[in-house]
Amino acid sequence: FACPSAPGGANIAAGAVVCVESEIRGDVTIGPRTVVHPKARIIAEAGPIIIGEGNLIEEQALIINSYPENIMPDTEGVEPKTMTIGINNVFEVGCVSQALKIGDNNVIESKADLGKNVILTSGCIVGACCQVNTCEVIPENTVIYGSNCMRRVQTERPQPQTLQLDFLMKILPNYHHMKKTVKGTSTPVRN
Amino acid sequence: MASLLQPDRVLYLVHGEKKIRSSLSTLYFCRYCSELRSLECVSHEVDSHYCPSCLENMPSAEAKLKKNRCANCFDCPCCMHTLSTRATNIPAPLPDDPSKTAMKKAYYLACGFCRWTSRDVGMADKSVASGGWQEPDNPHTQRINKLIEYYQQLAQREKLERDRKKLARRRPYMPLAFSQHTIHVVEKYGLGTRLQRQRPGAPITSLAGLSLKEGEDQKEINIEPAQALDEVEPLPEDYYTRPINLPEVTSLRQRLLQPDFQPAGASQLHPKHKHLLIKRSLRCRKCEHNLSKPEFNPTSINISSECQVLLTLTNPVESITHVTLVGCEEGDPEDINSTAKVMVPTKELVLAGKDAAADYDELAEPQDFQDDPDVVAFRKSNKIGFFIKVVPQREEDGDVTVSFKIRHDFRNLAAPIRPSEEDDAPTEAIWLTHHVELSLGPLVA
Repeated sequence: FACPSAPGGANIAAGAVVCVESEIRGDVTIGPRTVVHPKARIIAEAGPIIIGEGNLIEEQALIINSYPENIMPDTEGVEPKTMTIGINNVFEVGCVSQALKIGDNNVIESKADLGKNVILTSGCIVGACCQVNTCEVIPENTVIYGSNCMRRVQTERPQPQTLQLDFLMKILPNYHHMKKTVKGTSTPVRN
Repeated sequence: MASLLQPDRVLYLVHGEKKIRSSLSTLYFCRYCSELRSLECVSHEVDSHYCPSCLENMPSAEAKLKKNRCANCFDCPCCMHTLSTRATNIPAPLPDDPSKTAMKKAYYLACGFCRWTSRDVGMADKSVASGGWQEPDNPHTQRINKLIEYYQQLAQREKLERDRKKLARRRPYMPLAFSQHTIHVVEKYGLGTRLQRQRPGAPITSLAGLSLKEGEDQKEINIEPAQALDEVEPLPEDYYTRPINLPEVTSLRQRLLQPDFQPAGASQLHPKHKHLLIKRSLRCRKCEHNLSKPEFNPTSINISSECQVLLTLTNPVESITHVTLVGCEEGDPEDINSTAKVMVPTKELVLAGKDAAADYDELAEPQDFQDDPDVVAFRKSNKIGFFIKVVPQREEDGDVTVSFKIRHDFRNLAAPIRPSEEDDAPTEAIWLTHHVELSLGPLVA
């Protein structure tokens, strides 16, 4: 049966694999072929989050559209800003992303921390444990690595994780319950 | 345990050429001198060379030939991490039938840390997994080799002159290819053993590693002196106005790790072979024996109450050990760091021997030591916890440090059994005293 999408709830496209143990709050749209692991958290507090196709969001990753620090949640007149995430991005284990605009083919490695004012274009790699909270647009194909967040430009963008995505889309439903998707049949839940 | 947590809390005083205070995990104990030794009181000798990534051992002669570099492993020129070989499938025409394409494996080097790949500098993918990668040649190799040969010959000539003179006259105002000290040493011991130790005042012997093999013919080698040019290549016109492409500029470290080329642009950074590491052996300077690890291990410090400190002492040997603690006397020359007075237990503490089986033996009878509960907090197999009282002397912001002496008996089970006429006990106990300093942390108001 088709499951009606609740207003303000998660809007999960058919073909996406979102585990039930993940926490999705607020107005979140998830595109097809995206995999959200258990214990991932996508929280749309101060505005909606739109996630594109083919993304891989691993455990304990936190994607949060939060209020700026000096604004209380109850302030009037604050416009909700939409967070957009493109296609083929990888959010590795434990990363935190508050960046409002993320392009395509980016890799945010484990325990990386993206601030609110960063904008990732395409092909960027934010290394493990790197904190990027500057107010800038990271140029394409930039690699941020090391304890001092050194940067360099790579010549090719990281490859989309198609193999990994296909594997996960087959295996995850065997071991986890999935959240229901919108339109079309819900993904079968096996006991 | 001192090496993992709070390594500098407990310091031991080492009587060497210099008085060094350091934690037990960095000290060694010479069984023959029965003394503590620090890293500065021992001589370090190169034992063997090995590659840190493939762990391949290399004999010293081969290492010298390959300039102390591993043949198989590479370092990333960007972040100095170890490079790994990755494979991709590329379509390539079959040799028999050019119209069909088959998937062939192509290998390239990639860094897992900074994502550098060999394709970034234009190195073509190789068809073999290892052995296909070459470092670019240094254009100055020929000139350098010729200079080295010339100086080798010069050094040899000077050595002969000196042998002929048989005088130990040192001429400090003239740079020599060989100093008297190293000639002597090089002949007797070969290179590399005592060469690092230079007598103060001896000239630096950078060419000390060169020596002609015996019997080699002395050919006359002439080198052209380096020529100074009047005209230098002018800078390009837009040198000052061209905007900098920052990702392309190499850092100093990246540049200097490739002394042959020192490229200014990141697209010229080629990977270099990985540097070898050495395993070193330590030798006591006084008795010339190889060292062994220390045997005595005081461990954690728990500050349980304000002025009483609980210390734990563990006995690593299998026999019973008797320990006496003595406070430092007034005017003790070694007691320079203590900022508090300490009252140590006056009675002798007895520690049971280490018994590996005792952990598993639940029915073992409890050891019968008469412990004074004011002194001994707990006892567990070969561990004992005891109290000391600390009275901070000054109201300062620094750490509270106390010092005292530990006196314990030690049986050297590894020493050779000396034949004796009388029936001596097989191992005699000797009493060792160590000066210990404890850092207890800052004063709480």
